[in-house]
Amino acid sequence: MKVGLIFFICVFGSALLFGGCAETPVRSTCESCHQGLERASDTHADCVSCHGGDPGTENKDRSHKTMYGPKNPASPEHWEQTCGMCHAYHLGRVKSNLMYTNTGMIKNTQATWEGEDGRLYATSAGEVHDAAGEPLQLRDVRALNNLSGELYRKFCSLCHIGQESNQSWAGSHASGCAACHFPYNDNGTYQGGDATMNGKWPHSADHKLRALPDNMACFRCHNRSGRIALSYQGLNDGNNSLVPTKGGEPGPMMISGARNATSIAPDIHFSKGMDCIDCHTSRDVMGDGYAYENMYLQTEVSCQDCHGSATKRPMTATIERENDEALRESNNYQRQMQQGEQMVLTAKGRKYSNVFYENGKIWLQGKRSGKLHESKVITGTPEHSIVGHERMECYSCHSRTVVQCYGCHTEYDQSKQGMDFVKGRETPGRFSETEDYRMLYPFPLALNQRGMISPVTPGCQTFVTVKDRNGRKVRDEYIANFKGRQQLRFAPFYSHNTGTRAIGCRECHGNPAFLGFGQHSLEGSSIEATLICEKSEGKPLDGYLTMDYGRVRAYSAITRENSRPLNGGEVKKALAVNLCLACHEDPKDPIYQKELDYRALDTCLGRPLSAAH
Amino acid sequence: MRWILVSAALCLLLTSAAWGVNNQSRTADGISISGVHAQLPCAACHQAQGHELKQPSSAMNRAAGCVGCHQGYAAIFDQSMATRTNEKQFVAQSFNKVDPHFFEKNCQSCHVSDCLDCHGGDGHQIERARQEDCLSCHRDYFVGREYLGMAPREDANRYQRGALYQGEPYLKMRPDLHAELQMECRDCHTMQSLIAGRKAAKDCTDCHQAETRPVEHRIEAHMNKLECYACHSAWAPQEYGTFFLRLGESEKRTYFRLKGDADDEYLKSSYLKRQDAPPLGINSKGKVSPIRPQFIVFYSDLREEGDGTENQLTAARWQAFFPHTVRSGSGMCDSCHGNARRFLLENEQDRIYFLERDGLPLASFWSQEGQVVGNGAFFSRERYAAINEKSPEFIRTYVEKWKKLVESVEGSLKD
Repeated sequence: MKVGLIFFICVFGSALLFGGCAETPVRSTCESCHQGLERASDTHADCVSCHGGDPGTENKDRSHKTMYGPKNPASPEHWEQTCGMCHAYHLGRVKSNLMYTNTGMIKNTQATWEGEDGRLYATSAGEVHDAAGEPLQLRDVRALNNLSGELYRKFCSLCHIGQESNQSWAGSHASGCAACHFPYNDNGTYQGGDATMNGKWPHSADHKLRALPDNMACFRCHNRSGRIALSYQGLNDGNNSLVPTKGGEPGPMMISGARNATSIAPDIHFSKGMDCIDCHTSRDVMGDGYAYENMYLQTEVSCQDCHGSATKRPMTATIERENDEALRESNNYQRQMQQGEQMVLTAKGRKYSNVFYENGKIWLQGKRSGKLHESKVITGTPEHSIVGHERMECYSCHSRTVVQCYGCHTEYDQSKQGMDFVKGRETPGRFSETEDYRMLYPFPLALNQRGMISPVTPGCQTFVTVKDRNGRKVRDEYIANFKGRQQLRFAPFYSHNTGTRAIGCRECHGNPAFLGFGQHSLEGSSIEATLICEKSEGKPLDGYLTMDYGRVRAYSAITRENSRPLNGGEVKKALAVNLCLACHEDPKDPIYQKELDYRALDTCLGRPLSAAH
Repeated sequence: MRWILVSAALCLLLTSAAWGVNNQSRTADGISISGVHAQLPCAACHQAQGHELKQPSSAMNRAAGCVGCHQGYAAIFDQSMATRTNEKQFVAQSFNKVDPHFFEKNCQSCHVSDCLDCHGGDGHQIERARQEDCLSCHRDYFVGREYLGMAPREDANRYQRGALYQGEPYLKMRPDLHAELQMECRDCHTMQSLIAGRKAAKDCTDCHQAETRPVEHRIEAHMNKLECYACHSAWAPQEYGTFFLRLGESEKRTYFRLKGDADDEYLKSSYLKRQDAPPLGINSKGKVSPIRPQFIVFYSDLREEGDGTENQLTAARWQAFFPHTVRSGSGMCDSCHGNARRFLLENEQDRIYFLERDGLPLASFWSQEGQVVGNGAFFSRERYAAINEKSPEFIRTYVEKWKKLVESVEGSLKD
């Protein structure tokens, strides 16, 4: 009996442990029905270990009855029994990950919609560990009973990996691990080799597991709000003009929400053939096990990692141990990393699995393409050592465009039913949105949470109208309180539309729009906005600073902690550089390698012209 | 007989109070008449040369009922507001090949065909033309509403929001300084100037003598070669790529969530709208002036019975114009000097919108190539190079201008 039990435990235990690697049983009815279905991968060959079900019966209902799902075994309801059985390390991370909890999005919605109650929420309740490793209780967002909770559940919640989204053209995705690893196509329909499944919706495009998701997997969600997946690929959903048409229909490319995308300059990394995952580590996208409260805290990559800063070359560390994460992660790359190789480190000091130092150069391997890209290191170059610019984020100068949506007018109408995607049913209250103006260039700069000067974008300029159950307006174009007063908000932002060529010195220093004044007219010592917030007589909608007779005033908030608009002194300094730029246009000019001495200006101008150059 | 009527009318007018007095009277058949014409006998307007006039103010009879007193005013019907010669020519050149009836379908709502179009709407309540009368036509891309700080919104339904002017939502912008001072259209655009075929009775220098205090005004080239409004127009509506979608009754119409009436054969959309300081070119007087696309037209025939033409470029024409967004200030030096895009000389490496990737036959809206200025010329590359020459005078003036601004900003240059 005891021997029998041990035998049973061994066999059953190994089936659980190694199920993912086991061969399909002979005479599996899964395979006899689903002929032509793609094998998920060489290491995911067995149907039952992922899907459950009974492969021994011919009866379809009986066979399917015990399946996980039955459609998506990787969804959060099942992932403990399926993917998580083998990939416990990944699942543990994903469960604390912002893309799953959406804690950051909910928290920021609370902060900007007067919904703060001192608690942290997530898409479902759970205990996680904060950045310091302390236990942290996240509450279920269903319990957030205010406008910000409603907004999250009815508007934002479709873009997180805990929730399947299947109604959006080009924006649908599965839930759980499959959201990225079994990607949907534009219309969320299976179009693989299994005739019994072909044309069925909503399903992944086929049954192949993508260990390394392509850009479109990211695009399915990251095409709204910051729209980084659009900007990165050189797309712009602009003014929703629906032209130029394509095939007689709105075009040239349609994306979710009946928006059209047109072409703009793509990010240089995209042009070089790099994918989202070539910069973003698995810890960036799947989390590192700690629960952060904002995306910028979870993200571990920075430009300087590969390109160096003005004073520091990229940091590296050698792969020493045989269980190094970089070794395991590079298993799916064309070139697997080896012990002894010198890997480049992220801003958090962890190894990239695809960026390394070799023969005096930094190389990045395309995770999917295998292509090697040499990364240009800028350390010590004069144009990157300009005194004063040590406070600049790289992308303040190197962004081609920054997408800016001005005036977001949101109506919440309780006389109408709206779909609560988290609760899975319609409840009273429907949201709708209109907007005022879009911009790509120029873009405003302010101080971000690191005290660095960074592009900012409206985040958000929400004007809220609330109608009660009788359709009566109880709030009309209301601006919420933020940090103690009613004000619009801008958020520090990297648009993912990087260019090799920086914005010219005079382009930025000579145009106060970059400092936050918006488009303007300037007279004497006053700058007056020309695009105006409808709630005011003269404040810019596309900026947050005004200058009246030399006095610089800020009236919009920059959302993150410690971030703020530029002050009068900073504005003065930025404008003063033009006194030198008149002659010294080259950023490599040695005068910019030290603090500018404006007392020298008169002497300078007194000299013959040739000497000034 | 005619002279008797005219004399009687004149006498009545002289004895009545000044223009604007709202006299009231009622005819035997109960028609209420107000304004200065209330004291006139019916025949003063409704009869001319022994004939009864049913529509005394119509262009059809060259306002025969009005011109007895308002002599010479029939000439308004020979001017552009009535003839719309320029618009007709443009439409003929751009659309005749694809739709000979385009003008009737899309351009009929705005033209003067009767004195009453501007003067009160009802012949029995004749009034002096009000600003609203002008702006009922001078909207969207016809210079006008920007004077009050109203920019046309985007075409997509998502943007149809906010305050309305004459039933249309607008984007709030900074109004013209003259509007803030309560000046109205007629203060510059008198009837006399309009019937004479001039755009205005006055230009800037009739009222303003350029001060020499501002640095920019001390630059001779600025004063001689630039229209005042090249610098002093703060912003202007600009439409880059105007798409006429001929949808007819096509079922695909519902896909285009754009403003427009359900029974219009065409819907209009635009690739991009901007409301900032417009590019500069040369106007018909040879002066540097704001210019804008008017229009860069793309035609698509998407009707069920249509020929399937899609995004066909039928015109790429710019127009020198005077945006009525005058401010006492202007942009800084760098908004023109060193700003190649402002003169449609954009460097390829600075290009943002990639039109060719979207199948459009223009490399860039900010490239002169393939485009024309209908009433002037583009700023030449040579001339652009010349305005960027760093002469000692340029540098001194540039530094002086910036220094003045920098010194006025409160704050310290030290940390």
